[in-house]
Amino acid sequence: MTTPKGKTEAERPNPNPTTAGPSVPIHLRPARASDIAQLVPLILRLKRLNEEFDPLLKVRPDAEERASEILKRDISDPEALVLAAEGVGTDKDKVVGVVRARVRERPFYSPEKEGVILDIYLLPLYRRRGVGEYLLQELSAALKAKGAGVLTAEFPVQNEIAIRFYTKQGFRPITTLHGRTM
Amino acid sequence: MPPSNPETGRKSRKGASEEVIERTATERTDALGARSLRLAEYYHGKIETVPRVPVRSLADFSLWYTPGIAEVSRAIATDPDRSFDLTGRGNTIAIVTDGSRVLGLGNIGPRAALPVMEGKALLFKYLGGVDAIPLPISVESDTAFIETVERIAPAFGGINLEDIASPKCFRILEELQKRLPIPVWHDDQLGTAAATIAGFLNAVELTGRNVRSMRTVLLGAGAANIATARLLLALGHDPHRLTLVDHKGILDAERRDVDELMVRNRWKYRLALQTDGGDRRGGLVEAVEGADALLAASTPTPDTVKPEHIRAMASGPIVFALANPDPEIWPDIAKAAGAAVVATGRSDFPNQVNNSLIFPAVFRGILDARARSIPDGVVLAAAKELARHAHDAGLTVDHILPTMEETEFSPHVAAAVAEEAVRLGIAGRPRTRAEFYRIALEVMQRPPRLARELARSGVTLPMPDEKSPRRKKR
Repeated sequence: MTTPKGKTEAERPNPNPTTAGPSVPIHLRPARASDIAQLVPLILRLKRLNEEFDPLLKVRPDAEERASEILKRDISDPEALVLAAEGVGTDKDKVVGVVRARVRERPFYSPEKEGVILDIYLLPLYRRRGVGEYLLQELSAALKAKGAGVLTAEFPVQNEIAIRFYTKQGFRPITTLHGRTM
Repeated sequence: MPPSNPETGRKSRKGASEEVIERTATERTDALGARSLRLAEYYHGKIETVPRVPVRSLADFSLWYTPGIAEVSRAIATDPDRSFDLTGRGNTIAIVTDGSRVLGLGNIGPRAALPVMEGKALLFKYLGGVDAIPLPISVESDTAFIETVERIAPAFGGINLEDIASPKCFRILEELQKRLPIPVWHDDQLGTAAATIAGFLNAVELTGRNVRSMRTVLLGAGAANIATARLLLALGHDPHRLTLVDHKGILDAERRDVDELMVRNRWKYRLALQTDGGDRRGGLVEAVEGADALLAASTPTPDTVKPEHIRAMASGPIVFALANPDPEIWPDIAKAAGAAVVATGRSDFPNQVNNSLIFPAVFRGILDARARSIPDGVVLAAAKELARHAHDAGLTVDHILPTMEETEFSPHVAAAVAEEAVRLGIAGRPRTRAEFYRIALEVMQRPPRLARELARSGVTLPMPDEKSPRRKKR
């Protein structure tokens, strides 16, 4: 299997070139039930961002409760992975990011299991500076430990920022999801 | 319930004298509008093509046109850069708009934008000696806009973008600056920002402040203030003491719509991250608390800024209320609330922040130096030179910017712009500052002379609603 890595050095504008560096201002750890209150608003921010890309991604009025339920379920599910990103220094104890992923069967293909990134959100001030890349590395290792042989990510097809990010990390489009209103 | 003004239907909490100030200013605007319309009906446009060469007889056309002109075309075909010298290209710009945000009128389309673009062309010529072609275009997308301008660029030495809605104006400017080998300027961003910065620098000095340590609030996060914020940061303003406020409140890095901005308006998003609301959260009230300066360039809504906002600022604050035609707060009211220096966008109050102080001179300098672009360094050079002239002429709270009558500053600003372009290595025709000044002065003096001569000889028709001096004698 070949990876298109290096082929796509997508250039991303850096608004803060002076603060660019390898330092990662977050601390990543498995999420606990006690984090849910802090994680839900982050999930909702992500869903509202998705709303920007397609009217079929309109956020439901009960999205907040649903996010809470899903987080609660996934935190205790061995086939799922929920990570909380904490700030460092003065932002210690503040949850500044969330990652939610699941291990899924691939009945017809090999590798047999994939780790799917379902939600990934970082507060704006914690983006760039290699944080996303670090997040992906940690996530990848944890999902591999759960038996996943492929890492995939689901996001709105019009989200070009996500496309640039994942492309840079060696991802390529595999399947697409087309839809219409019924 | 506050009484409602019977003429405007506007609710008012103001005293009688404040009401008068506001009413007379608004009436002046209305009267000018009526007269503009009458004159437009009479003159059918404000500019026309005038020959630059003598035509002694029709025989001369064999020089100005075929067959002689073929040799000129051949020369340019061999060396395309000569198009700047052998034609008017080096002194001609296009004023391009899609009519999506014209003055305070909103999206009125390219046809309705034409009178404004014509007026702008007149200012470019009269104040800067720049030949400007009004060019409202009908396009369906930003991409079509960009491609259209790209295709007309061979005829022009520069492009002035005008009255394009935010945020698409940022993308269009950035993309055209990337693609075109000639300078591209968006006056609503850069011209306004440069004039604001010029006045701001003098106001800062006058009130004994320092850009690096002061707290500044920008009200409105449209084209002008986003450029102003960028220039302030370039001047060393502390991003954590800079607060942008728009109709949704303080622009901070965790505001609810910040991800939407990341997708739709990355220029504003960038400022949200850089300033993080100047380490403040909330709205205008929280933003102005103890602030040294308030630069308001918002959607014109009267009374956006209230006396209590000014009173909450640091002692003797700087207040720029730049919305047109009605400022966010009237100068007398701002001063009564403690403002030390007040500027507006209007010519009937002191300290008019007027982009006409900037754009003719910037283009004069840029064209004279044949600069390939207009980086922020050049914009700041123009602002600083403009500030210096008001400064040298005597800095007072009512004189932080030159007035339009003090025209002598203009060739100096042009020379400063050209010199900076040379320093930055983007000038295709480097000269000394003194030479640039001499060239600018000469070119800038010509249009007023031309206008005078044409009026004197009666080639330009006198204003139909004014008695001409000649008629008076009869």
